[in-house]
Amino acid sequence: MYSPEIEKLLAKQHIQVGDRIRITKGKEVFEGILMPRPELGDRSVFVIKLDNGYNIGIRYSPSVQVKKLSSHRASFEFPKLRVEKKPSLPSIALIATGGTIGSRVDYLTGGVYMLVKPEELLYEVPEIAEIANLRIENPMNIASEDMTYVEWQKIAKAVADAFKKGARGVVVTHGTDTMHYSSAALSFMLQNLPGPVVLTGAQRSSDRGSSDAFMNLVCSSILAAKSDIAEVGICMHATSSDNFCHFIRGTKARKMHTSRRDAFRPVNNLPIAKVSPEGSIEYLSPYAKPSGKELELKTGYEPRVALVKFYPNSDPDIVDYYVSKGYKGLIIEGTGLGHVAVKPSDDRLSWIPHIKHAVDSGLVVGVTSQCLYGRTNSNVYRNLRLLTQAGAIHCEDMLPEVALVKLGFLLGNYKKEEAEAMLSKNLVGEISARSEYDWFMV
Amino acid sequence: MQDEHYYKQLGFKCGLEIHQRLDTAEKLFCSCSPRLEEEPMLGNVERRQRAVAGELGKVDWATQFEGSKGRKFVYQVYRSTVCLVDIDEEPPHDLNNEALDIALKIAANLHAHVPDELEVMRKVVIDGSDPSAFQRTLLVGYDGYIEVNGKRISIPSIFLEEESSGIVSSDSEKVVYDVRRLGIPLIEIDTAPEISSPEEAKEAAQAIGLLLRLVGKVQRGIGTIRQDVNVSIAKGARVEIKGFQDLDTMPEIIESEIDRQLNLLKIRDSLQERKAEVGKPVDLTSILKSTAVRLIKNSVDAGGIVLGARLKGFKGLLGFEINKNRRLGTEISEYAKLAGIGGIIHSDEDLAHYGFSKEEIDQVAKALGVKENDAFILISGPREQCTLAMKFALERASRAIYEVPKETRAADTKNLVTKFLRPLPGGSRMYPETDIRPIAVDRKKFGEYEKGVVSIAKVRSELLKEIENPDLAEQMLWSPLLSLYNEIVGKTGVPGYVVAPILLEKLTELRRQGIDVDSIPNEAMLAVFEEYKANAVTKTGIEELLKHKPKSRADVQRLIRELGLERITGKRLEALLKEFEGKSKEEMLREIMSKYRLNVDGNELKALLSIKE
Repeated sequence: MYSPEIEKLLAKQHIQVGDRIRITKGKEVFEGILMPRPELGDRSVFVIKLDNGYNIGIRYSPSVQVKKLSSHRASFEFPKLRVEKKPSLPSIALIATGGTIGSRVDYLTGGVYMLVKPEELLYEVPEIAEIANLRIENPMNIASEDMTYVEWQKIAKAVADAFKKGARGVVVTHGTDTMHYSSAALSFMLQNLPGPVVLTGAQRSSDRGSSDAFMNLVCSSILAAKSDIAEVGICMHATSSDNFCHFIRGTKARKMHTSRRDAFRPVNNLPIAKVSPEGSIEYLSPYAKPSGKELELKTGYEPRVALVKFYPNSDPDIVDYYVSKGYKGLIIEGTGLGHVAVKPSDDRLSWIPHIKHAVDSGLVVGVTSQCLYGRTNSNVYRNLRLLTQAGAIHCEDMLPEVALVKLGFLLGNYKKEEAEAMLSKNLVGEISARSEYDWFMV
Repeated sequence: MQDEHYYKQLGFKCGLEIHQRLDTAEKLFCSCSPRLEEEPMLGNVERRQRAVAGELGKVDWATQFEGSKGRKFVYQVYRSTVCLVDIDEEPPHDLNNEALDIALKIAANLHAHVPDELEVMRKVVIDGSDPSAFQRTLLVGYDGYIEVNGKRISIPSIFLEEESSGIVSSDSEKVVYDVRRLGIPLIEIDTAPEISSPEEAKEAAQAIGLLLRLVGKVQRGIGTIRQDVNVSIAKGARVEIKGFQDLDTMPEIIESEIDRQLNLLKIRDSLQERKAEVGKPVDLTSILKSTAVRLIKNSVDAGGIVLGARLKGFKGLLGFEINKNRRLGTEISEYAKLAGIGGIIHSDEDLAHYGFSKEEIDQVAKALGVKENDAFILISGPREQCTLAMKFALERASRAIYEVPKETRAADTKNLVTKFLRPLPGGSRMYPETDIRPIAVDRKKFGEYEKGVVSIAKVRSELLKEIENPDLAEQMLWSPLLSLYNEIVGKTGVPGYVVAPILLEKLTELRRQGIDVDSIPNEAMLAVFEEYKANAVTKTGIEELLKHKPKSRADVQRLIRELGLERITGKRLEALLKEFEGKSKEEMLREIMSKYRLNVDGNELKALLSIKE
């Protein structure tokens, strides 16, 4: 949106974004196509695209004159592409939820819109047509940082539906920021899977020929169409090169870089598989295969659970805050093996009484480590034992975010006592009994 | 050279695109060093790029020649000169303000207008030279002009943009790029096609080059400035010529391009008169499989094929010379080579010389249906390459019948002609760079830049005053080292008459000896003159330092010690004189200077000995 003066001027001349206009300012005359106002720009500046392709900004002043020269030209239309079903190929579903993957830029305005029709997506990534018959669902269009458990529930249902309708595998396109929360949620909500559920996204927008979206989509489709994995996982670039992707268990994956295409890494685990865009799948570690049992969809979720980070000088009153707000569970991200302050010089900074208060008030309290790598322990130090005595549950080698999602899932589907007992027991691969030597910094 | 009337009659049109790297502390959109320092490579990143769907689905005939299709791109990564921004793994940082300031100063000096707000654009790049598949660029000035010998030449646009990567190697599977160059701030200055002769093209390029050096902090050395020339004549075609090594050869190369287009038009007229046509490819492998022509035999033995095509009415015209030692056949061959084959054989050549037998020629002619006025071409190689090469060759041959093709061509500075690089691409696709905010231009600052416009006349007279030698002063004015000269004189206070001869004469002399003096960074040059000013080294010592600096990693002070160049001056020189007591002044002068040539300043010694010059 432009400033009110500009909008008024444009409305008077019946000018819309995309129209070719002439702007006269003093002695200067500019001709070009009116662009939408960039979100971050000064609203009282006209932006036009000159004939040489460049955009420039012209500041509004009361003397500025604007004239419409011609109307908006037709924007890009996808060539008519008939998507034929190939009986020899497996059927997969693609559930588009938002994010930069599977979107297209309008090269005129720079605006981005989702590709929701198979013919559009297949036009951009034609390789998929050779891998599988594709059905696309678009239950939402949301940036991953805006997601809540309500979207996890919707996606879980859409995945279950897709399997019911005959898909052998499902690809979920998703914004990358909270993809590992969603992958954990789906792992718990969808049990006894008949096939792979592959979450994928893009770190670089797909308007550019260099986007990682293309290979990620191809590798994810290969996994969904061919692999005998019956787990939820994330399939993204394994390295900065466009050579192959890793498929990482949904409860062991974490976004470890803000911008690199190989941002997702397994923590306390190895990747399950290495997938090349040419079609090969190499399995790198054990995984669940279809059990033949019926798919179990459990979408209950208790949103009143919180993740609290302990750090030097942190005020444990935060625990009381959650208790007072009626929360049902807390995951504490402790230091090292799972510590919080027990005997600080300032008594008020000891977390033990507060945790005890929370447990006594009926909350389930879990302890994880901000080291991310490695396992928590409740016995090595006295302080750890005090924490256990206060009623906190050490969450083994579970990632803090995964423990949070698991606790919400457990409290949403089971009684409190059951949830308490299940928090530190492995359900879907989120906890490993053993810590293998080469699981660090993979 | 012809007079201006001649070019007017031809409908000669010519414009320049000057690209100059700016001398900033950081790259345009990240904090990497923009200097191409020698350092070990950290590793390679391999990427694939795809053409994203076109805006209006229009297919540009140039795109079918895009050889990079499906190829892998390998980017070499270094520590101090390449970061995640360069390899498309991190969003761009804010626009480099230092670069913008230099660009705005240059725009002011070209009397250009600047937009109220600058918008960074992404210009789509399909050859892989940018890991992000687009180049960031912004329009910083418009409607400017420059005076060249009293004539105003319009400068319709001035851009600030990122330099591309340097190509290391290229084959049919992959292209390797050195990413260190990528993102160095570059200013592009385009002139209108108002240049009226090849000589004027050179003068305009010189004038812009001079202005850039006078106004801005610009990089010096090979590759830091590039002049592309757009040329056409009436009924000919716009051709963009790249890769001029120096401006001296520019007029002659443009002249050759005019000749080429004139000759191609002559060929076109003959072909039209003869109702020429281009035939279809015919597989001749079975006819030529046991030929004695080694070129073909080798391809066939390796499992390849031989294709031929009839060129109806082309006889004699393939061999028609369009530039010295270049024929229409050469042009067709250059197109075919884009597919990765070695070249073509055509019937205007001496076929017996290749080793063809009379029977073979007859059989080929028969198979292709070649008649009296016809010609043919042959191409051999692996099936896919050969088929593509024939397609390209026939595309070029058929264009000869009706036009001069629009092309990007390379300046061949040895033979003073132009060579085909690729068809001229259509307009580039641009869309907004949404990761960078629009930038409001500081009007007040720009107003000051407009007031501070450089006067060449004033610079010239100041140089003359400082250098005291009209020839050297004029040479300094036009030298790429002018900004360095100004920096040295300004910062160290060493007089111009000392600095200029060293920069202009001494460096040239050392360069001729094969010493890479252009690799000496500006800071080191400054340090050398600072040491001179501080009486730590003599003028002869400076020459010695410049000789050794390119090969040494030591800083200047250390190098002085290592080479034993410490100046003997003042009290130490007086002490030295005592060692020679009893000798005549002339003898002392001679002996001391022969022994301490590098350490003693002759004038100081003479003064001490009170010997008059």
